[in-house]
Amino acid sequence: MLYIKDIVKTYKRGVRANDGVTIQVGAGEVVGLLGHNGAGKTTLINQVAGLTVPTSGTIRVDGCDPVAEPSKVRRMIAVMPQSHAPLTGVTPRQVIKSMARIRGMSKSAANTRTEELIEALDLGEWADTTGERLSGGVRRLTAFGMAAASPGQVVMLDEPTNDVDPARRRLLWEQIRGLANRGCAVLLVTHNVVEAERSVDRIVVLDSGKVMAEGTAAQLRSRAAGDLRLELTAADIDGLPSLPEHIATAGPPLRASRRLTIALESSAAADALTWAQRLRASQDIDEFSLVPVGLEDVYLDLVGGESTSNGEEEG
Amino acid sequence: MRYWMSSYGLLLGWAGLRGRATLALNLVIQTCLAVGIVVGFAFLVPNLDDATALYLSTGAPVLGLITVGMVIGPQEVASAKQEGIFEFNRSLPVPRSALIASDATIALVTALPGMLAALVVAWLRFDLDLQISPLVVPAILLTAAAAIGIGYGIGYGLAPPIARMVSQLVVFVALMFSPIVFPISRLPDWFASVHLVLPFQYMAESVRDTLSVPPDGVRLLPFAVLAAWSLAGFLVAYRMMARRT
Repeated sequence: MLYIKDIVKTYKRGVRANDGVTIQVGAGEVVGLLGHNGAGKTTLINQVAGLTVPTSGTIRVDGCDPVAEPSKVRRMIAVMPQSHAPLTGVTPRQVIKSMARIRGMSKSAANTRTEELIEALDLGEWADTTGERLSGGVRRLTAFGMAAASPGQVVMLDEPTNDVDPARRRLLWEQIRGLANRGCAVLLVTHNVVEAERSVDRIVVLDSGKVMAEGTAAQLRSRAAGDLRLELTAADIDGLPSLPEHIATAGPPLRASRRLTIALESSAAADALTWAQRLRASQDIDEFSLVPVGLEDVYLDLVGGESTSNGEEEG
Repeated sequence: MRYWMSSYGLLLGWAGLRGRATLALNLVIQTCLAVGIVVGFAFLVPNLDDATALYLSTGAPVLGLITVGMVIGPQEVASAKQEGIFEFNRSLPVPRSALIASDATIALVTALPGMLAALVVAWLRFDLDLQISPLVVPAILLTAAAAIGIGYGIGYGLAPPIARMVSQLVVFVALMFSPIVFPISRLPDWFASVHLVLPFQYMAESVRDTLSVPPDGVRLLPFAVLAAWSLAGFLVAYRMMARRT
């Protein structure tokens, strides 16, 4: 349904926002696009929407080229932008209905779909409140409703769950899945690795305009070094004693401000646990946890989210 | 064409819905502004003769249209750009020209009541003997279209902070230095020749000559110049709207 092949986008000042990106999203599939700010996610969406022209490469939306036929492609896609939707002076019910109508639905179908979305997203309480009095989360849900009202073949959602409360976040994910079940190809931009791990079919990790990895959450997790992560939290993480040599690590440790994360094979679990308990007893650390490797670990390995320590002696 | 018309109709409803909250306030401000110019400028000129009264009366509604189109217009576009609404609109499955046309229609609807109020107040205040030509309708519509078109050209063509500054400059030049509420003969020659190119004197002339037809009839040159300015403004707006980076 959505076919993106070798997309390169270089801006006039020489900034290469996309560098050979290839992604496919099939009908009924939800693909999560993960990446830091500036990874090239929004540029990619704008190219699919025909707002920006790729420097080279191919994009097809159900066989249509957004470069050659931008207005036709705009009728086949729905975009939920990262920025706030225009809600000042209008209510969620009015905007969702208006968007459904503008996207070609009949009056009665638009009414039905609007009520369906308001109920499904639990927006009833605010459905008739004007935009300037809505919270950020309700505004995001409304913006989702505007895109989902009459979604076309491809739906692109730019950080749809930001600011949304946990209960409605689940409802939102159900609706995203609902779009896929209707046959839409859903491309979803997010920073939230944990959510993506749970809710999307496939994940594409983008960094500096390049696809760093692609696959299901399980496939990406299998790329991680080791099976476990030992996480230590301490006020002075640099002052910790070295990791005993008999505990085999599966990669260089990662340091965040107060946290040290060490990759381990399952076989080292018992020794690592003993060491960590001893550190806590001596009050070198505040707490520790031994957890199975998660997608976040893989993601941070791929895009370098935390600084790696600079030598074995710090392990 | 049917698709364009249906998109235009739906967008008009959408723009109307968004503008509804501020429409009433906008109408009041526009009316006060246009009426204020009639009353206020009369203080500047203590002994009003008929010719001056005619300039004031017919110039005030033109200034009202200029304010809506060339000052409020670019400021609204600048805000829409900064709030991301411009990008959102660009992704909608509608012709871009229909998008601009629907916004322009709302601006026109906002401007007309104030303009009419100014005329009525001027007529009451100065007891004018007007010779109204049917051409007054195209004159007002072209003046409004030129003001809104140029305003959108400024708003879409320039970066938001610059568009805001230019719109301030426009109102200053229009109010104080344009032959709208006074004859062009009062300006220095060099400045009068600048106004041969700018749209202000043609806006004023088309409205004035159709409200009080001169003995030698209504000149058509102002209509042509205003049509050209409207076209240029809307074309810039359309190009920026349809532009792909």
